[in-house]
Order: sequence, then C-alpha cells, then structure tokens
Amino acid sequence: MTSKKVILTGSFGVGKTSLFNQFIHQKFSDKYLTTIGVKVNKKTVESHGEEVSLLIWDIAGEVTQDKVPNSYFLGASGILYVVDLSRPLTFVNIKEDIEYLKDLLPGAKIKVVGNKKDLLTDTELAQAVKSIEIPVGTTTSAKTGENVEDLFLALTNEMME
Amino acid sequence: MTQRKYKSEDEVALEKLKDIILRNDRSELDELRAVLNDKDKLSEKVNPIIVEHFNFLKENFSSEYAAIINGLIDKKLKQSEQELLDLIYPSLGKMISKYVALQMETLKNSIENSVKSSFSFGRSFTSFFTGVKESELIIKDAVIATVEEVYVIQRDSGLLIGSASKNNSMDDEVVAGMLTAIKSFVEDAFNAQSQDLEMIEYGSYKILIRSYYSFYIAMAVSGALSVSEQGELQDKIDEFAAQKMKIFKGRFDSSRYEISNLLKENFMDK
Repeated sequence: MTSKKVILTGSFGVGKTSLFNQFIHQKFSDKYLTTIGVKVNKKTVESHGEEVSLLIWDIAGEVTQDKVPNSYFLGASGILYVVDLSRPLTFVNIKEDIEYLKDLLPGAKIKVVGNKKDLLTDTELAQAVKSIEIPVGTTTSAKTGENVEDLFLALTNEMME
Repeated sequence: MTQRKYKSEDEVALEKLKDIILRNDRSELDELRAVLNDKDKLSEKVNPIIVEHFNFLKENFSSEYAAIINGLIDKKLKQSEQELLDLIYPSLGKMISKYVALQMETLKNSIENSVKSSFSFGRSFTSFFTGVKESELIIKDAVIATVEEVYVIQRDSGLLIGSASKNNSMDDEVVAGMLTAIKSFVEDAFNAQSQDLEMIEYGSYKILIRSYYSFYIAMAVSGALSVSEQGELQDKIDEFAAQKMKIFKGRFDSSRYEISNLLKENFMDK
C-alpha cells in the first residue's frame, strides 16, 4: 500500500483540527482546543483503484508559515492550507505563505481550503472567495461535513497522478 | 366567683423590703435586657470578644484542635479507604515500577562492572574468580530487558518503512508519524539540527533512537536496561542498518513486508 504524508496548516482557529476530526472520525465539536505542536493520524482511502494510506499531520496554527518548524513539512506530498472564510485576517498572508511552501516543497500538491462556509450566506461566501488572493480550491464546513471527504479524496488523486 | 386575695401586713412589708434590697439589681437586669434585645448594642459588646477569640484561634488553632481534626481525618480516611486507593494506586504503581526498574538497572550495572573487572568463564567459574556471588549473577541474567517494538522510519517524512512488534498495541504508521513529530519538535526546540534525539524514557520503557542518512530506527525496550546492554542494542541496530538495510538501496516504498520480516528475525525472535 502506498503511504502519503499530508499537512494541514494555516492560521490558528481556522478549523484544521475540526477538518481532521471530521475526516478521520466523522465528528465535530464546538469546543475550541488549541493544538499543541502536532497531531498525527491516518486514514486509508482509494485512488485510481489503489489503496492509499494518508498520514495526516495536523499542525498547530501560526499567523505565518515561516513560524512552523520546517521539519514538520519535510517529505510531505500534499498540503492543505486552511483559511477561515468568516475571518479575513486568516488569509492576509496567504500569498507569501503559499510561495514559502512552494519553495520548501517544490513537488508537493498544495490546496487552499476555505473553511466555515456554514457561517456565511451565499453572497458573503462569493465575496470572501473573491477577496482571497490565491484561488480557493474547495470551500468546506467541518461542522456539517460538507465537501470534507471530497477535499481529501481530490488531494489524494492529485498526489497519485 | 373569684375570691380576692388580700395581702397580709407581713407580705406588704416583705415586698417593700425586696424593693429596697433589689432595686439596684433590678435596674441592672433591665439594662441587660435592653442590651440583649437590641442587635446593635449586643454587637457592640460581643464583637470585640469574638474578634479576640478569632485571633486566638488563628494563632493556636493547631494546638487546640489538632487532636479533634486528626480524629476526623482518620475517621474519613477509614470510611473512604477504597476510594483513596483507587485514586492513589495508579500513580503509586507507576512510581514503584519505575523505581524497581531503576534499582535493577543500578544492580545490573554494578554486577556487570564487577564481572568485567575480572574475566568471564561460565557462571560458577565467574563467581569463583570474580568474587561476585552466583546468586547475583542469576539476578543479572533473570532481569532481562525485552525488545517490545522496532520501527524503521523515513527520516524526513516520518512514513513507516518497516516494523515489528510483540503486541501490536497501536497503529504502527501513526506511531512512526508521532515519533517523528516528537523527534522533530525536540530537535527544533533546542536548535539542535546537527544533533539527534537518541532516547525517550517513559516509565519503565525506553525508546532507543538511532538516526541514519535517510531513515532512523526506533526500538522500544521494557525492563531494566543496563548501560552495557544499551550499548549492545545500539551496536546491533547499527549493524542492522549497515548490513540489512543496504540491500534495498534506498528504495523502501515497496519493501515494507521484507523489512518488517528482517526486523522480526533480528530483534523479536531472540
């Protein structure tokens, strides 16, 4: 079986751990517990008829990515850069952050994820997505589970191409 | 019809006498009643006494009430003995097991040092020539450190290359990831990029870590591990890395099964 390392990163409070828990355990909690360091878990998915073991590293949120220890990113095949669509402050550094990650991991697939879509109306959602400098790959709600499974599957498919 | 009772002259005289004798007392009694029935007046009189007693208690509480409180605590402890045991036992158990493991390590180290200072030629001969009691040599051999789990892990990504375990307690891929995260965290936190984390201790468990260019090997050992045994295990891990891992020429992706079998043969079956 192929194994791939996936990193969940982004500013604090954007819902990385909630996406992680929703994808791994299909659970959501309203309680905000800040992640200390990093938490690793795995889930096996299928891509192009092959089983793939995703080792997901849920990293503690930082305002900018250069604050995250480089060693956490090493060897990653995929990165999910998560922003909170209801808090513009969580995507003010997105351009610099994505450039930094591309330099660090030239071969990795990077996806920008707009989370907490359940907090916005359709109009607000469209405005938020438009205001983000880097194209948003997927908008999700870790609370309702909307697009969460699809997000990880799409990333797996890209990593396996 | 009620009969009116007339006081005799003696009784009237007695009343008058009482009035004369008790006048002062009665007036004081009235004053006292007035104080007792008026909250403010009563507070004014009583508060200083309470404060004084309170201060006295603050200074002398332990000597005055120690016996009573000790009695109460004893009684409560006896009543809740089971509850307390449930609370204390897990921590106490860990402390004792760690202490015993540590003492065993010290004992093994000391026996080994005594043996090393002479030569080895079978337990009885060794005992005879070194002066170390045969019973101590038996203890040394009996408290064997056991290899519980071994992992070969990609150094950068933390992805698992191979593993062998005695009890398969947790998902080996997640263990490999978390070990790498801990290793990275320690090495980053102490800005020790040129140095590697070499050991993690948990209770009576030790996780020995040997880092190489593209992978590292982590070995969980239970029991008392003496300094020389630790050295021997590290040599054995180094030998495995140099002799067995080289045949895969850095291509570990499709070799997990073979590497896991090699780990089992080299570290688990003995």
